[in-house]
Amino acid sequence: MAKVLEGPGMDLFKKWGMAVPNHVVLTSLDQFDALAQANAWMRESKLVVKAHEAIGSRMKLGLVKVDLDLAGAKKAVTDMLGKDVGSGLTVSQVIVSEMVPHSAEYYLAVKSVREGADLMMASVGGIEIESQWDKVQHVPIEVGEPASAPALEAAAKKAGFSKDLVPKVVEFARKLHQCYDQEDAQYLEINPLVLDKQGELVALDAVTLLDGDARFRHPDWNFTFASEFGRPYTSDERAIMEIDSRVKGSVKFIEIPGGDTALLPAGGGASVFYSDAVVARGGKIANYAEYSGDPPDWAVEALTDKICSLPGIKRIIVGGAIANFTDVKKTFTGIIAGFRRAKADGKLDNVQIWVRRGGPKEAEGLAAMRALADEGFNIQVYDRYTPLTDIVDFALKGKS
Amino acid sequence: MSIVANADTRVVIMGGPAGVNAARRMGEFCHLVKKPLNVVAFVFPPDAGKTVEVPYGSQLISLPVYRTVAEATAAHPEINATLIYVGADRATKAAQDALADPKIMLVSMITEGVPEKDAKLLAKEAKKRGKTFNGPSSIGILSAGEARLGVIGGEFNNLVLSKLYRPGSFGVITKSGGLSNEIMWICSQFADGVTTAIGIGGDAYPGTDFVSYLEMFEQDPQTKAVVIVGEMGGNLEEQAAAWYGAKKRRIKLIGVISGFCQEHLPKGMKFGHAGAKEGLRGEGSARSKTDALRKAGAIVPDTFGALGPAIEKVYREMVESKAISPIPEADAAALPKLPKSVDQAIKSGDVMIEPLIKTTISDDRGDEPCYDGYPASELIKKGYQIPHVIGLLWNKKLMSAQEAEIIKRIIMLSADHGPCVSGALVTIIAAGAGINMAQAVAAGMMMIGPRFGGAVTDAGKWFKYAIDQKLTPEAFLDYMKANVGPVPGIGHRVKSVKNPDKRVAELVSYVKSLAIATPHLDFALQVEKITTAKKDTLILNVDGTIAAILVDLGYPVESLNGFFILARTIGFIGHWIDQKRQGSRLIRLFDYLVNYATPKRREVPPLG
Repeated sequence: MAKVLEGPGMDLFKKWGMAVPNHVVLTSLDQFDALAQANAWMRESKLVVKAHEAIGSRMKLGLVKVDLDLAGAKKAVTDMLGKDVGSGLTVSQVIVSEMVPHSAEYYLAVKSVREGADLMMASVGGIEIESQWDKVQHVPIEVGEPASAPALEAAAKKAGFSKDLVPKVVEFARKLHQCYDQEDAQYLEINPLVLDKQGELVALDAVTLLDGDARFRHPDWNFTFASEFGRPYTSDERAIMEIDSRVKGSVKFIEIPGGDTALLPAGGGASVFYSDAVVARGGKIANYAEYSGDPPDWAVEALTDKICSLPGIKRIIVGGAIANFTDVKKTFTGIIAGFRRAKADGKLDNVQIWVRRGGPKEAEGLAAMRALADEGFNIQVYDRYTPLTDIVDFALKGKS
Repeated sequence: MSIVANADTRVVIMGGPAGVNAARRMGEFCHLVKKPLNVVAFVFPPDAGKTVEVPYGSQLISLPVYRTVAEATAAHPEINATLIYVGADRATKAAQDALADPKIMLVSMITEGVPEKDAKLLAKEAKKRGKTFNGPSSIGILSAGEARLGVIGGEFNNLVLSKLYRPGSFGVITKSGGLSNEIMWICSQFADGVTTAIGIGGDAYPGTDFVSYLEMFEQDPQTKAVVIVGEMGGNLEEQAAAWYGAKKRRIKLIGVISGFCQEHLPKGMKFGHAGAKEGLRGEGSARSKTDALRKAGAIVPDTFGALGPAIEKVYREMVESKAISPIPEADAAALPKLPKSVDQAIKSGDVMIEPLIKTTISDDRGDEPCYDGYPASELIKKGYQIPHVIGLLWNKKLMSAQEAEIIKRIIMLSADHGPCVSGALVTIIAAGAGINMAQAVAAGMMMIGPRFGGAVTDAGKWFKYAIDQKLTPEAFLDYMKANVGPVPGIGHRVKSVKNPDKRVAELVSYVKSLAIATPHLDFALQVEKITTAKKDTLILNVDGTIAAILVDLGYPVESLNGFFILARTIGFIGHWIDQKRQGSRLIRLFDYLVNYATPKRREVPPLG
């Protein structure tokens, strides 16, 4: 999945015929005056300024300002851009949009489900939706089929939309599903959907999750994807994503501040079991990582480098199941090179390394790891006869 | 018994190199279980009409490559399954073609990164047609002792260690490639091994789910229990729990679910599998899945580490209740071995091979070429030059700077002698005829012989003969006159005593200015004295001078023409480029340059 920020999300809505407020995205204050010059609505309407970042609870952090005039908006942009929001993360983009005076708020969303899509609508919206979830009407839409107008109409009536609003809601919902289907979305949410002074429906917000795997058939996706977990990606995370996007196989890396146990496991399935095992034994993971599909050794080395650089770690778990076709010797060559460099930089002082792995060239790979002990590494190496996550038990023994 | 894949499964692989690799792995498995190769053909339009060789034991089986799946099934009616290794942007079309083919009942998609919508559409299409669509992102399907579809099971050694050469009692369904091997290994260590193991793929909406296969396992009497590996995200595990709890099932269900760590991690985090992600409203957590499975009566150990003992317990109970009769251990020594490749056999010292050729000058098997043992980059770093490389490769000697300077001058002086000499002329004619560089230069090179350039070797050979035989210049000339003919290296068409060759003067004066012994050059100059006394064009020419100097430097006589060839290559390439740049026309000799000394036109007599 790939999250798309509000600005480009709204642009996609607009592309499929849904009304959205006028908006601009700024990365520096210098752009403000020129944009105000070019866009009459900025001078003529009340404005909303929001941090354009994948940051959770922006309202609480003071990263949303409403009902501003042009000068007020400029000040809000000045205050927000470059603001430190903790954990070393700063606001690098803001979105300025037209404030739409409205009378009522509604909810509209489409979610990917196994059989196709689940279209959701409610005649309540905004923050109220959470407490009134039972009022949400569901319209199942089979994959490959358009949304059925009678089904949408029935749902809109059941949701309590007034008679003259029903056709408008149905039309908006139809377009939202079309956008979902044609843009390879996985989740689209409008909350709130509002009725403006002219009696037309406008999407005031856009939550947009697209299927990153479908990128190849959407040449107009000119935006970068944002992180989905309430904070922007760190530079190390971005560096590994960049490598991941251009190598055979995969390398993945997410930082988790405050952990004492770094993970360098192989395989999308096993990596989660390793994370589970650390947590189950009372350890604190410092990251999520994974390499698989026989990536080149330099990519694994780059990943190792990031993992060894995690602050405050006491141990590194190099775990993995029995690989199908990932060359254990070759990928371990990358890890060993990363370890050597980290050790030379003094990063592995007082860090224990635990290894368990199987697969093609396992004997050679494990022997090379084992030989690191002669270079002064604090390393324990196990083979396929030690159950998968037992090294986590060994590593955290003495704890809890 | 097994499900989905068995000894009668016949596969067409769609896709290029990754598919060929899978076919090799499948060949290894077929060899291990002593079954015929189950890959029948490939569909890969760029190579249509060619064949692919798949190793099977010690033989190579040739498989045809087709443009379309319809062509493959028409030619091979036994095909009933396909594996898709086509890239993500074309995989859907490939799967649609396969699903539309009436003969193919199983489509397993190995491709990763297929859009979610496509997977759903393919699943719908398969269901409509009553077929199985497995994947995307599947590692494959393996039925122990019967068939392997894809690379699942890994390398040959692992197949043997995990006892996949014969069926056991446990079915396996996983989302993860690496874990499928791990579970098969665990089943072989803690119990009697597996019947069928299936990778359904880690995507959010795989074409088939746990329940599809649980139903099949339930119908397979050989399978006594099924191990599923689940993870947070989606609801396939909850569906499996609902299926298992719905009524009394013959098979035991053992599950292990990952993703408990999510309770401690940022919400919305991306894991290795696209499907491993909690729903937007907290659906599909590892805990809820585990609870659902346990409630339905499945065995779910607390940790992955406890899985082996849990499987062992189920196995022992079933042996006690006689549901499973223990399989006698196979004699590992009697199992087919994978023949070693020549490389492996040499490496392990099992064979001695008589080499086909021998080389004594260079070796590029390391990270860079070594010339007579010296790494090329080291030579560069230490200031050596092109003449030193010539010295190493032609004479296996590391020359001094002084000697290298002589070689350099020889090459510079011989690089080109204008367009009129036969080699350059032919190169120019060839360039005008539109012949490419290598061929045009080679045509020029073919002119090198006793009358053009090729005298260097012969001159060197006879000067050396004279010195070796300790002949006087006079005796040498007598010998040549009586036995050989004109002395190679002596004489010039246009140069003479009165019109000396500056190149010769230059070379001779330079070499004589150095403190080196030059017996051959001295001898050649003495010969010249005698010959020029007879006729003033019988000078020591450039070929002869170069030859004498090179023999003095210790170059073997068979190398000497090489200096002329090397130097002239520079010139010929220049002439070719020059003609090309001018866009020169095809050359035809003018009639007036030919003396048509032929009989006059006459009557052709009747054929007798």
